[in-house]
Amino acid sequence: MPGEQRYEDIDVLVIGGGLAGVYAAIKAREAGADKVVQVDKGKVGKTGASCFAAGVMHTYFPEEDDLEDRVRRLTRAQGFLAQQDLMQDHMEQSWDITQEMAQFGVDFVRTAEGKLERRAGRGSYPIISFHGPQLMAAMARAAIRKGVKMIYRTMVTDILTQGGQVVGAVGFNTRSGDFCVFKTKTTVLATGNAWYKGLGPGHRDCTGDGYAAAFRAGAKLSGAENPDGPTNFFPARYDIGPGMNKFVGEGGIFLNSKSERFMEKYNPTLKERAGLRNLNYAFTLEAKQGNTPIFMDMTHLKPDAVRRLKEVLPLAMRMFESVGLVVGERFTQPVEWMPIAPLARPGLMVDRRFETSLPGLFCAGEAASPTAVPIGLASAATSGATAGKSAAEYARSAAAAPLDEEQVKRLRQETLQALNRGSGVEPDQVLLSVQETVVPYDVLLLRRADRMQRALDAIEDARDNLLPLLNAYDPHYLRMAHEARNLTLIAELHLRMSLARAESRSVLREDFPCEDNQDWVKWVVAQRDGGGMKLSTEDVPVDGYPLKPERTKNLHHMWQLAEKLGICRVEKGAVKWA
Amino acid sequence: MGIRHIDVRLCNGCNICVEDCPLDVLRLDEATKKAYIAYLRDCQSCFLCQSECPQDAIRCVAVHERRMPKAW
Repeated sequence: MPGEQRYEDIDVLVIGGGLAGVYAAIKAREAGADKVVQVDKGKVGKTGASCFAAGVMHTYFPEEDDLEDRVRRLTRAQGFLAQQDLMQDHMEQSWDITQEMAQFGVDFVRTAEGKLERRAGRGSYPIISFHGPQLMAAMARAAIRKGVKMIYRTMVTDILTQGGQVVGAVGFNTRSGDFCVFKTKTTVLATGNAWYKGLGPGHRDCTGDGYAAAFRAGAKLSGAENPDGPTNFFPARYDIGPGMNKFVGEGGIFLNSKSERFMEKYNPTLKERAGLRNLNYAFTLEAKQGNTPIFMDMTHLKPDAVRRLKEVLPLAMRMFESVGLVVGERFTQPVEWMPIAPLARPGLMVDRRFETSLPGLFCAGEAASPTAVPIGLASAATSGATAGKSAAEYARSAAAAPLDEEQVKRLRQETLQALNRGSGVEPDQVLLSVQETVVPYDVLLLRRADRMQRALDAIEDARDNLLPLLNAYDPHYLRMAHEARNLTLIAELHLRMSLARAESRSVLREDFPCEDNQDWVKWVVAQRDGGGMKLSTEDVPVDGYPLKPERTKNLHHMWQLAEKLGICRVEKGAVKWA
Repeated sequence: MGIRHIDVRLCNGCNICVEDCPLDVLRLDEATKKAYIAYLRDCQSCFLCQSECPQDAIRCVAVHERRMPKAW
């Protein structure tokens, strides 16, 4: 029978151990919060996506870059659904926060004169580089020096509320199985995104636990159907990555099965260095034409380029070496490359202070809606810093509310249920069912209503028939069971929100090929409704923002290009393949 | 999916890999004070344990351990 741990008198509880969470914890302490507790299901600094990030940061250089242009590009990358005030904040703050991270001990790659070295990456502006996991190790040490109390191997499963206000959280220790109760004045959710445990290492603990807990507690979520990066791309046959930004930055090129460098067609300017949305359009259209497999060719890279890759991507390069794809300072052959899985980001809606729709709950990093926090470490840091400060301010004026012990008791039963079952469905069966449903590219990366509806039916089947029978042999499997349960909910949110967006914007729809700036400059919002979910839309307040899209409804520019290239034609408002 | 082997002759029981593994795949044997692979199938092949092991006792190979549904 598992025991129970209580953690009380917390001012700011930070859930998640990546860069956004660490920054939130540090800034909450600096803003005067006395007891700041950071909890993670792994170990802070070794967990989530931050530790394995592709070695790059998109930092704005005040003396070299055009701020307005950078904000415009970030906004356009979201198809004008971005919260432009936040895009401005991220960009402006990214320079100072980069300097501060260096003071905290992060080793950025520098020039001989000691300046931050800018190199080509994806996108129009050069990026700066760091040395893989060193960044998170330095930041976790900084948080401990600041007096943040760390709790490891504890998975938070649900958020506690009292009269609509967030007052704590519950979870369990993934080794002892002990039920854990946190009583806090305020909470920062920094639990990252979800990739359905798809291709490639370095993100398989990102299972949307924060989205799921927040949804169950009644928070408003948005952005799943229109992320700035619909997917990422990894080696298909091996477990290697991440690092694509650096690989294409150093000169890696994509070739299709006909050995064509197809990105020249789809994005003649940036080619492989195009944004994730554009890469997704190109990969899925190539797949539709039967031009797979697709390869990343780096065999032409010079030894100094491979040395630079080894410097900033030590883990990924070891992986290549382990299967003979890198020998010495050469890539030995082109590597088959593929979308990981659709990125699932039904993020929490936040205001400029990163407060969510639930009083007392703040959110940072990719746990927030993509409209508020673009992908990447720079905005993980800036959003974390602001959320931490805002949470500390909130905690100063908030009185600690008593817990609803009936709610705690009910959640204890729900949390530990699979552990007490004795026998039943293995977590991996649920995971495989979810993956087989949402990972095929023509479900969420190239969309049509009938295919998404079939996928939704399959997810509902898993939800109704498999989840109630989930069995965990031990506390480790209990974690896997909760991850599978959360990913099932995430898939449902992802599919429902994607079905709702009746247009092509960041992702192409065959049945709605227009980008509709008359009716769809809107956020799709999901919220719990009893035992189900309700969807609604909210207008993006573009009238109050500097950049306004033209209010037109035109065939999406990528469908226009696809028609020109003879890949398809558009008839009666739908795509017909050639 | 990736960790294959921990060399018990080299392992000094420092516990770094057990503490750091993001997927919580490893444990330390109480009696022998050696690390072992407890949940091989859940390894995410991140190579963190191999790169952090002060004894160079861990070997990883970047291949999928179980069926991996793919985009195409």
